[in-house]
Amino acid sequence: MKILSMSTATNNLSVALNDGAKIITEKNEFDQRNHSGHLDPLIDEILKENDLSLAEIDRFAVAIGPGSYTGLRIGVTTVKMFASILHKDVAGISTLQALAASCAEKDTLIVAGIDARNDNYFAGAYVNKEDDLGPECVIPDGHYHIDTLLSAVAEYCANNNLENVIYVGTGFEKQKEAIKKTNIPFSFGTEKQNVVHGGLIGKLTLNAQPDDPDQLLPNYLRRTQAEIDWHKKTGEAYKPDSNYVEEV
Amino acid sequence: MVHKKDIRILAFESSCDETSTSVVKNGREVESLIVATQIKSHQRFGGVVPEVASRHHIEVITQITKEALSEAKVTWNDIDAIAVTYGPGLVGALLIGVSAAKAASMATGIPLIGVDHIMGHIMAAQLKEEITYPALALQVSGGHTEIVLLKDPTHFEIVGDTRDDAAGEAYDKIGRVLGVNYPAGKTIDEWAHQGKDTFDFPRAMIKEEDYDFSFSGLKSAFINTYHHAEQINQKLNKYDLAASFQAAVIDVLATKTIRAIKQYQPQTFIMGGGVAANHGLRDRMNQEIKNLPQNMRLKVILPELKLCGDNAAMIGAAAYNLYQEGKFADLTLDADASLELPYASEMLQ
Ligand SMILES: Nc1ncnc2c1ncn2[C@@H]1O[C@H](COP(=O)(O)OP(=O)(O)OP(=O)(O)O)[C@@H](O)[C@H]1O
Ligand SMILES: [Mg+2]
Repeated sequence: MKILSMSTATNNLSVALNDGAKIITEKNEFDQRNHSGHLDPLIDEILKENDLSLAEIDRFAVAIGPGSYTGLRIGVTTVKMFASILHKDVAGISTLQALAASCAEKDTLIVAGIDARNDNYFAGAYVNKEDDLGPECVIPDGHYHIDTLLSAVAEYCANNNLENVIYVGTGFEKQKEAIKKTNIPFSFGTEKQNVVHGGLIGKLTLNAQPDDPDQLLPNYLRRTQAEIDWHKKTGEAYKPDSNYVEEV
Repeated sequence: MVHKKDIRILAFESSCDETSTSVVKNGREVESLIVATQIKSHQRFGGVVPEVASRHHIEVITQITKEALSEAKVTWNDIDAIAVTYGPGLVGALLIGVSAAKAASMATGIPLIGVDHIMGHIMAAQLKEEITYPALALQVSGGHTEIVLLKDPTHFEIVGDTRDDAAGEAYDKIGRVLGVNYPAGKTIDEWAHQGKDTFDFPRAMIKEEDYDFSFSGLKSAFINTYHHAEQINQKLNKYDLAASFQAAVIDVLATKTIRAIKQYQPQTFIMGGGVAANHGLRDRMNQEIKNLPQNMRLKVILPELKLCGDNAAMIGAAAYNLYQEGKFADLTLDADASLELPYASEMLQ
């Protein structure tokens, strides 16, 4: 099964071609701030090098969030359109699960996170199980203050007798002092592990349920500030987004 | 007889708060038009919130693509080009259309065309009637108030521009003061027809020889009048307020546009943009042009009301002209939030 997978969730633009679990090729543009201008050319390059057309891809996969809102929408829109037009499978994979998948350690809590500024993180925690299905989520992906995240980590480790934690992703190094206070041995991901890899997204999609391309949407993990303020001010309940859009 | 092949373009538009797709034949005929509007959502906030807009665009993009094809009763095989607005507008919003159009182009192998949103607004006229060149356009929308000279179907030059607020923006801002939901233009237009110009608001820059506009002074005068009355517990007639505001806007727009027509002597006069739906402005321009000396009479094309606001059909119309010129985009096409038509050399002095 040929899988084309990509991540536009962070500054690392990553596109990969997998054949089943095997990563055939992965290309990364580190510190790329213009995903829109570079994503399609990178896809095109990979297809050409492998003598493939988009129509020969069996499944499209994408990092669905969390991550940069604008970045996520570029990748998700792209795969939605591919899958919808070519009638192929599409699957969205948690950006944090993909980050965690770069760590093979067992009996270790893998905390995957993306710096959301002011000591906040889009983060979740994962553990590798005996099977090879990819890391399993044990602390749900969410938007956490570092203190909240670290107490959840400490609690999980205590309850599950884990004595090793890896922090993978961005912005954890600056929390070293706070992390030390959890009194659990820890390490940080390597430079390579700290970026989201398209190839790992491709691998994770093997065990994921395909999504309906029309329904596939970024997982922002946060409402917009405007909606939060509106809700506070009016006390009105949030309605499904589709209630606000109408064809005229 | 040589049978010329029909050219069908599938167009995307997502620059602000409408997600739209359309199939346009030969740049003239709208075979389908889907417009998904988010107005209800943004009314919660009193104006368009960019991040909210982007989130809504991606929700509907694949569905409305399929709908545009099925409503036109065509398949991808019948499409000759894929067009998309790449600017100006909200960058996050534009990126949904741009990403979708590029992905569609890659998946189908159909060539891609990037379209300037303002060129699109102006080309809504082409969906009504053939344009004879050179033409002159009054572009009046939420973000733009410009007089544009059309040398041919793809070479446009700005000869006049607003120095501050756009006309539509001014409507929305004074509408807000009067408690009218965003976007306020249509309601103010309706009220204006029930009132009289009793306040005599300033007609900024009406006498200047250039073709520039300014609406922020008018907006401030309006707001000051309103608040002053409020402070002394005087209730002003909202219909007269609307009529006075609208008269000031139209006076300036019409006077300067007519002057530009006299100078540039175009073959066609066009209006484009959301404010081009304004009944007062349409009537006034028709009247002013009727009053022109015989030798200056010209064709007038005012787009259909539903094609004045943002829609993908106008993008398909403009794209057809670019298609004829072989002006295609490649996969590096990116959104350009501050894209501008070129300024005429006399504007740059
Ligand atoms: N009948 C009317 N009279 C006056 N203004 C109107 C009328 N109908 C709509 N408008 C105004 O038109 C504007 C919307 O037009 P449009 O959608 O073309 O603008 P936009 O896309 O937001 O901006 P732009 O096209 O400049 O980037 C709003 O400001 C709205 O109030
Ligand atoms: Mg517009």
